Amino acid sequence: MRIALINGSPKVNNSASSVLLEDLKGYWGEETEVVNFGFHSTAVSKEVIEELARTDAWVFAYPLYVDGIPGHLLSCLIQLEETRLQNRQIHIYGIVNCGFYEGIQAQLALKLLRNWSLKAGFIWSGGIGVGGGGGLAMMPKLEPGRGPKAPIDKALADFSDIILKKKVQENSYVSVAFPRFLYKMGAQIGWRQMIKANGGKSKDLGKIPE
Amino acid sequence: MKLIITDIENFNVPVEGEYKVIKPQGEIRHCIGCFGCWVKTPGKCVLHDGYEGTGSDMGKCTELILISRCYYGSVSPFVKMVQDRAISYIHADFVIRKGKMHHKRRYKNIITLSAHLYGENITDIEKETARELLKANADNYDGLVKEVYFYKSVEELEGVIL
Repeated sequence: MRIALINGSPKVNNSASSVLLEDLKGYWGEETEVVNFGFHSTAVSKEVIEELARTDAWVFAYPLYVDGIPGHLLSCLIQLEETRLQNRQIHIYGIVNCGFYEGIQAQLALKLLRNWSLKAGFIWSGGIGVGGGGGLAMMPKLEPGRGPKAPIDKALADFSDIILKKKVQENSYVSVAFPRFLYKMGAQIGWRQMIKANGGKSKDLGKIPE
Repeated sequence: MKLIITDIENFNVPVEGEYKVIKPQGEIRHCIGCFGCWVKTPGKCVLHDGYEGTGSDMGKCTELILISRCYYGSVSPFVKMVQDRAISYIHADFVIRKGKMHHKRRYKNIITLSAHLYGENITDIEKETARELLKANADNYDGLVKEVYFYKSVEELEGVIL
């Protein structure tokens, strides 16, 4: 079994997508060959496409952007569809992380990946929508199943098994184990710290440009 | 004002009233997820390529019209990149609307959204996704949905008045 983990975040480092893929990878043993790819820009190289064609499953992890797939990743998907790979027996899985609390808000971004998979002739095999992804890259690394990430760990553990067995699952949705009002409050504090770190004031967050 | 975002370079569809068109004019850079448009230059994208002011344009419009080739139920990468780069239309802070988390308003205008999507082989499932997407966009912009229209080709748009 050869699995491609495709990070579809525009960020090269410290993205929630990379955290989720890294955690997923942790559930597989050494007998599972994992190949990592980063789709951080609008095009995929010929070498990467050739390498992808030699795998059995592609797991895309990407952030929710304006209810859908980030524009740069959409561009990569179109390129992959148009390449017309000989190997079409590839299982496609998706993990979408959203800054909103509710994982279900990733539903449309997963539907788009499903629609792409159907059009390109691959085997759509389901995905996970992760809510509360805003803090994932900043959370301390704990034992799986502990802390606010516990429900996400459980979803990833189940998903890792589905992928390994090349099974097809209905999409599932999960959120961080953290009350929504606290998550909302935490984000508000975070934005104010960030704007101050950039030399601005809290009230500037609502500024209307000239 | 009607704000039109399209991937058609030689856009010449007639439009009634005041309008602005954002179309491919030089290469667009994609959103890099830096949130600079919220915490460095609030209301404006930090990437300077001519597309950084879309969030502000959205703050002045009453209608947002997306005219694009349809890919899998989504707009095209160009139109999507413009949308991704315009999240400064909304505020960084969260609010709860209709039981779900969304972003707070930055502007007071209520935008009515419509989409005109073209393509030779748009499937029923893609059409359904496109309708759901526009509705989700309207919820996040705290706006309204007008309609999603489908065309088999760009030429079919010639008979349309926006």
